[in-house]
Amino acid sequence: MRAYLRFELRRLVRDPRLTMFTVLGPVVTYLIFSPLAGDDRLSGLDAATALMVGLAGYGAVAGALTVAGSVAQERASGWLRQLRVTPLPPGRVLAAKALTSMLSGVPAVVAVGLTGVLQHHVTLSAGRWAALVALLWVGTAPFALLGLAIGYGLAPHLAQPAVFLAFLTLSVLGGLLVPVAYFPDALRDLAHALPTYRFAELGWRTVDGRAPSPVGLTVLLAWTVAFAGLATGAYRRSTGRR
Amino acid sequence: MDDDAVRLAGLTRRYGPVRAVDALDLIIPPGSTVALLGPNGAGKTTTLEILLGLLPADAGTAAVFGREPAEAVRAGRVGAMLQHAGFVPGATVGDLVGLARALHARPLDTDRILDLAGLTELAARRADRLSGGEAQRVRFAFALAGEPDLLVLDEPTTALDVDARRTFWAAIRRYADDGHTVLFSTHQLHEADEYADRVVVLAAGRVVADGPPARIRALAGARTVAFDLAGGPVDGLAELPAVRSVEVRGERVVLTTTDADATVLALATGRGFRGLEVAAPGLEAAFLALTSTGTES
Repeated sequence: MRAYLRFELRRLVRDPRLTMFTVLGPVVTYLIFSPLAGDDRLSGLDAATALMVGLAGYGAVAGALTVAGSVAQERASGWLRQLRVTPLPPGRVLAAKALTSMLSGVPAVVAVGLTGVLQHHVTLSAGRWAALVALLWVGTAPFALLGLAIGYGLAPHLAQPAVFLAFLTLSVLGGLLVPVAYFPDALRDLAHALPTYRFAELGWRTVDGRAPSPVGLTVLLAWTVAFAGLATGAYRRSTGRR
Repeated sequence: MDDDAVRLAGLTRRYGPVRAVDALDLIIPPGSTVALLGPNGAGKTTTLEILLGLLPADAGTAAVFGREPAEAVRAGRVGAMLQHAGFVPGATVGDLVGLARALHARPLDTDRILDLAGLTELAARRADRLSGGEAQRVRFAFALAGEPDLLVLDEPTTALDVDARRTFWAAIRRYADDGHTVLFSTHQLHEADEYADRVVVLAAGRVVADGPPARIRALAGARTVAFDLAGGPVDGLAELPAVRSVEVRGERVVLTTTDADATVLALATGRGFRGLEVAAPGLEAAFLALTSTGTES
């Protein structure tokens, strides 16, 4: 398992284009939009910090979803079958893939964080920075699992748009791009039920020095369990073969 | 029991109404190099997929070194080169060989693997940017990295040119000479003939011939001799020289023979005929005719 994880990570490093997209998108968005919010207070934070967390989360979700969704290609190319005739158990392949997907969200978090520091002099203690990166890493678990569900469930030409649609819907409605403070009430209630909002909330609370909320954790965990179920089901069906 | 590399008994696999593998029995002792020969659709790939644990059987049993196929794979005793097994982007040949080695308890040395597969010069290249033949060699390297006791190769030479084929088979032979069991599928008689010490011919999911290459070659040399009876008797046709089977379709008779010259000569001197045709029926038809129950003897 460790060897396979290493192998996957080396691949990720060798082909940084995918990561570049998930890094560039939120960084550029942050550069452009953070000055527009001015002195607004969002989620109890100054706008520069709140947007930084939202867009860091946006990048992390993008990374986790797209890398996990790429199993559609690996399945179609026959690579997963090739792995099945090695001693590596299929469950481990799934686990390693989920871990790699989660890790692919981290560069975006770091990059947007750096941009926040450089552009708006966002200041946090070292401990809060560490907690922020760690939570925005672990919190990508449901998105990695959703990506795997799509990747195992759909052919590559359908998986790509499906990943994109899921990503866009979840991140916009979850308030990662435009903060929920600007949402009408009904949409805000919807946002509160989404994993993306609860994921970013982990970050908002962290930079504010607060522990994750029990409601937030519960919502996030429920989505994680649901997506894990979907991923396992899709995985089983894909290996059953006809 | 435990000594058999492969033991298939009554193996059956259906796709809808089609029996891809039909009550197939096959035992392969360790240390042999066996060719699974047959046309496309004969059930070669399905058989191999079942004995690699990739596909469940509908009926019958498959055992590899006395274990369930998937278990034998998990134990690292089997290595396989599949058809259409692609590589993921971003990995070099060296990465792939390294991964394959890391997944096995007692792998071969990296240099040895690269040398056997003819990849020494390509180790730093990205596997998704290789030619078809080169990629095939990477598949080979991936399959043998763990030094499996049984090496399974599904149509291993399809993407290779003539030179690459020769190098490839030389490598396989070296691997087999070290006492490993090799099972490969092919639809080319000459490959089976040249590189296997036993040839198992499959047609329509069944074993239709099984023996040393020389015997299979002789069987495959069969011809059909067809003609109209023109009022002549059917009796005695089976007793003509070299005739292996007789089939009567109304007026027309089709004889399968291992020596068309002798058969036609005897026909011409002994009895009359009209519309004579001698044809090479192709591997599959030849084996089907030779093994069908319709043979009179």
